[in-house]
Amino acid sequence: MAGFKAALTNEIEKLYKKKKVLVATIISLIFIVIGQLAISGMRSGLGLRGTSNMEFPILVLSVVVNTILPLFTALVTIDCFSAEFAQNTMKITLTRPVTRLKFFTAKITAIMVFIIVNLIFVMIFSLAAGIIFNSNSFTLAALIKIFICYIVTLIPMMILAMMIVLFTNFIRSGVGVFFLSIFVFIILKVIGLIFSQYSGVLFTSMLDWYNLWIMSTFPFGKILRQFILMCSYGILFFTGSYYLFDKKDF
Amino acid sequence: MEKVIEISNLTKVFDNGRGIRDINLDIYRGDIFGFLGPNGAGKTTAMKIMTGLSKPDSGDVKILGYSVLNQFEKAIEKVGCIIETAESYPYLTAYENLKQFSRYYDNVDDKRIEEVLELTGMLKFKNEKPRKFSLGMKQRLGISAAILSRPEIIILDEPLNGLDVEGMLDIRNIIIKLAEVEKTTFFISSHLIHDVELTCNRIGVLYDGKIVNVDTTKNILNNYASLENYFVSEVERNGRV
Repeated sequence: MAGFKAALTNEIEKLYKKKKVLVATIISLIFIVIGQLAISGMRSGLGLRGTSNMEFPILVLSVVVNTILPLFTALVTIDCFSAEFAQNTMKITLTRPVTRLKFFTAKITAIMVFIIVNLIFVMIFSLAAGIIFNSNSFTLAALIKIFICYIVTLIPMMILAMMIVLFTNFIRSGVGVFFLSIFVFIILKVIGLIFSQYSGVLFTSMLDWYNLWIMSTFPFGKILRQFILMCSYGILFFTGSYYLFDKKDF
Repeated sequence: MEKVIEISNLTKVFDNGRGIRDINLDIYRGDIFGFLGPNGAGKTTAMKIMTGLSKPDSGDVKILGYSVLNQFEKAIEKVGCIIETAESYPYLTAYENLKQFSRYYDNVDDKRIEEVLELTGMLKFKNEKPRKFSLGMKQRLGISAAILSRPEIIILDEPLNGLDVEGMLDIRNIIIKLAEVEKTTFFISSHLIHDVELTCNRIGVLYDGKIVNVDTTKNILNNYASLENYFVSEVERNGRV
């Protein structure tokens, strides 16, 4: 356990020290501000009803979860794996008293921490923007709903991250992994739209599963089914990528 | 004499036919073992397997009684190493790099980090990032990382690579001092035959993936004018033109 903790602390420190975290923060902030300005503009300029302060964070999430969040997740995942393969710095930790399994798990956990921090950051700033610019009052129930929406989005994001980890283990170049990930993501999204009978098994269709969590009648069965499907994807991707990682010579 | 490294029937052959075959080698506590061989003989392959960077086709390596394959954490706990190149994270300072490595060990604090940087002549560069270092500076940082946890065994692949004369002398003195005072065992591969002759007490020669001979430096120098003569004769004996 001590080895895992040390590896996790190191991975988080490395992510923090690289500029990418700062870039993700700034771009998320810009996104929220532009979104809020657009809504304010729509309301005052065009007379259209924008969103209330409680709907704005959910609106931001619906856009972010299909655009910048998968993008940053991909960048960080590729940084954690492909960049280290390329720079030959994996062997730094592989010759320390920590097993490959603990090291691999620590990297995945660090990516998860990054995703959570990113989600919470977007949530707090979209809430703040909603409160400042939209005049309606907010309720505790609405706040809890928003919090749940953001937190449950972690699970499909982690599945996406693990799919990218799998790609990093059989494609050498980080750029190659990045384009393959985008390509696969778009293809799966399109398949989900065109062949809607298959969308139930594609994890890309589950990125907006937070909508199920805030329905007036809680669809327990649907949520459970999607959760189990995502767990299956997680197990498959983790096992596949760890197997390849463990076999590698450095 | 306590065996600290036991290599038994170690084999790893790559697709191109090169590799190591059936290596058997015992290293005793306090040895400064020199691992010699021509390019492509398999020295780095053997060292990578010893430090968990690579998995063998068959055979095992036991370090302090623990198998590198099955009990990796315990085996590598008391080992420091540089394999192939001394790597460090280019976006962290020298100090931050060592801080990262120190988290895996209980006995390393900030004072120890400063101590090893001082020992290798890198203290004045502790707040600089390795992306701005010369090869020799990176090598010194790598050696700092290898000795940071006061390991009982240090495995070094070409440790004097890129060092100036002063650096080579410094590192040779560190090796000899650690072996004498702390009874640290060294396993060193090098092409600098003269340096190996001065530093190592036992020499093993690897040729074409097989150990051809293991002997003490004293015996070798009794029978040959220099280690270079011994090495050339061993390699010629094994058929290299």
